[in-house]
Amino acid sequence: MASLMKVINVSKIYDLGSEVITALNNVNIEIYKGEFISIIGKSGSGKSTLMHILGLLDTPTSGEIILNGQNTKGMKEKELAKIRNKEIGFVFQSFNLLQRTTTLDNVMLPLKYSDIPSYMWRKKGLDMLKMMGLENRLHNKSNELSGGQKQRVAIARALINDPSIILADEPTGNLDSKTGDEIIELFSDLHKQGRTVVIVTHNEEIADLAQRKIIIKDGEVIEQ
Amino acid sequence: MRTSEIFRSSVVALSLNKIRTFLTMLGVIIGVFAVVALVSVVKGFENYITDQFNSLGSNLIWVMPGMVSFEQGGGEPSFANNKLDSKHVELIERYASDIYSEISSVVRVPKTIKYKTKTYTATLTGGTERMYEILNVQLDLGRFFSKAEVDSKARVLILGSLVTEELFPTKNPIGEKVKIDGISFTVIGTAKPWGPNFDDRVFIPDTTIKSSLGVDRYTGIIVRVKDDEDMEDASRKIKLAVLRDLKEDDFTVMSQKDILSSVNSILNVLSVGLAAIAGISLFVGGIGIMNIMLVSVTERTREIGLRKALGATSKDILIQFLTESILIGFLGGALGLILAWIGTLIASSWIRAEIPWWSVLLGFGFSVVVGVVFGTYPAMSASKKDPIESLRYE
Repeated sequence: MASLMKVINVSKIYDLGSEVITALNNVNIEIYKGEFISIIGKSGSGKSTLMHILGLLDTPTSGEIILNGQNTKGMKEKELAKIRNKEIGFVFQSFNLLQRTTTLDNVMLPLKYSDIPSYMWRKKGLDMLKMMGLENRLHNKSNELSGGQKQRVAIARALINDPSIILADEPTGNLDSKTGDEIIELFSDLHKQGRTVVIVTHNEEIADLAQRKIIIKDGEVIEQ
Repeated sequence: MRTSEIFRSSVVALSLNKIRTFLTMLGVIIGVFAVVALVSVVKGFENYITDQFNSLGSNLIWVMPGMVSFEQGGGEPSFANNKLDSKHVELIERYASDIYSEISSVVRVPKTIKYKTKTYTATLTGGTERMYEILNVQLDLGRFFSKAEVDSKARVLILGSLVTEELFPTKNPIGEKVKIDGISFTVIGTAKPWGPNFDDRVFIPDTTIKSSLGVDRYTGIIVRVKDDEDMEDASRKIKLAVLRDLKEDDFTVMSQKDILSSVNSILNVLSVGLAAIAGISLFVGGIGIMNIMLVSVTERTREIGLRKALGATSKDILIQFLTESILIGFLGGALGLILAWIGTLIASSWIRAEIPWWSVLLGFGFSVVVGVVFGTYPAMSASKKDPIESLRYE
């Protein structure tokens, strides 16, 4: 399999003045195209910090992130924003949909920061929502949807720019177990379609469903 | 992010809190309304005064008692120490005879006129038989008084249109007797409607007003200069004539142009002063915009984090929030202008109020500038937010 992302000697240290916290310590990971990976660890283990660094929302104190052969170290904010928009699809625990905004507008949001012409936005949004089985919820506001529907909208939004990697942070954390299972199954289907999926979770059962499991403890990768 | 999309996003964001957006705009609306409406009303006064003067013709010169000046520190007509009388009309007639076509003394005094049970307080205006020509009085019925009537101090008068309406709503007043201070006068004419400043007048020979009503000093002398005469030269000659009897401090010679330009300069200062005071409310409106935008930035912290995660740059966020505050200023300005326009239409019933183009630019420009100035800090604080912290914000 071809390499998609390389995490090389990445450390993240927070200097709070009175104390220094090492959130990540010399982490090395390689993610291949089409993989389904779970990152598991207890609360405070550094898994969320790792996900933020993988998603280029945060920069490591030391080390490098190579995405599609491109070293992201030293990139300017504009370049990082473009990569986030084009290459990375985020799914959050609390869905993070725009309040009182329609399902379709929420899904189309990443397109507004892309180079894709505006006349294509609606069609792409409709296609994504159809794929998620939400074609009859196009004009519902986010507050009119169930938890499972909200997460499907968030996944549709993550997929709309056809990203290289989908990063999901505790995607079932705010869902009941039945809906959570459906969402995990959805990620599994996306993997089967050839997409690269990385799920951050503290739930062993969900982590076990992934193709590869990365266990993180006290900021260090102890198994992968 | 495309400009049209930024605009659309801003409209959506503002429409999500319609009442709050409107209340935020209110300061700007009131500010722009106040600036533009005040300027238009002052302009209306300017038009009114100009119209009144223009209706008299442009070649009039007034001789007024005391040192009169509309400039800063200047005085007003001094009626308490009034030394103008018939002697000065004669001096002008003798020493400036070549420059004028008409001359008349003017005596003005408010008096109550009684006809049977009806009364009306009018401005009694005494003058010579030439006064109606100088003031362009147009007769509706009857005639003006003659030189013989002036010389004989005849108790005759001409009623302004408002006085006629009040005292003789249905009856022809010619030949009727009215009473002023218990003395009987015969109505010999009525004037056509002319303007609010003249319609409440009653014209009477100046000799009569002195002998019968005891008013012995002139309010002024009006001279209509010949059409081909230079106004400045005429003013100088009239002044020299009157100086033969009076000192320079005892009277003032002013042409219509002098008075108009003085009045207009006072109104311009008044206009700018009032607009500046009204502008304070625009400043307060700006503080309102900043306050609400800061609240909005805090409320939408997660949205800011999300947008950054999905590809927005700090500049995108800055532009979006700035557009929202500019839009508040813009819409507030537009609504303020509409209100000012409606206010001006209403005021037009009384005075010829008009909105000068510069006040529209000033009001509208300021409202947009207020949006930019007071929206910049909240927009910058939004753009600087850390995406991770923002996504975690509860």
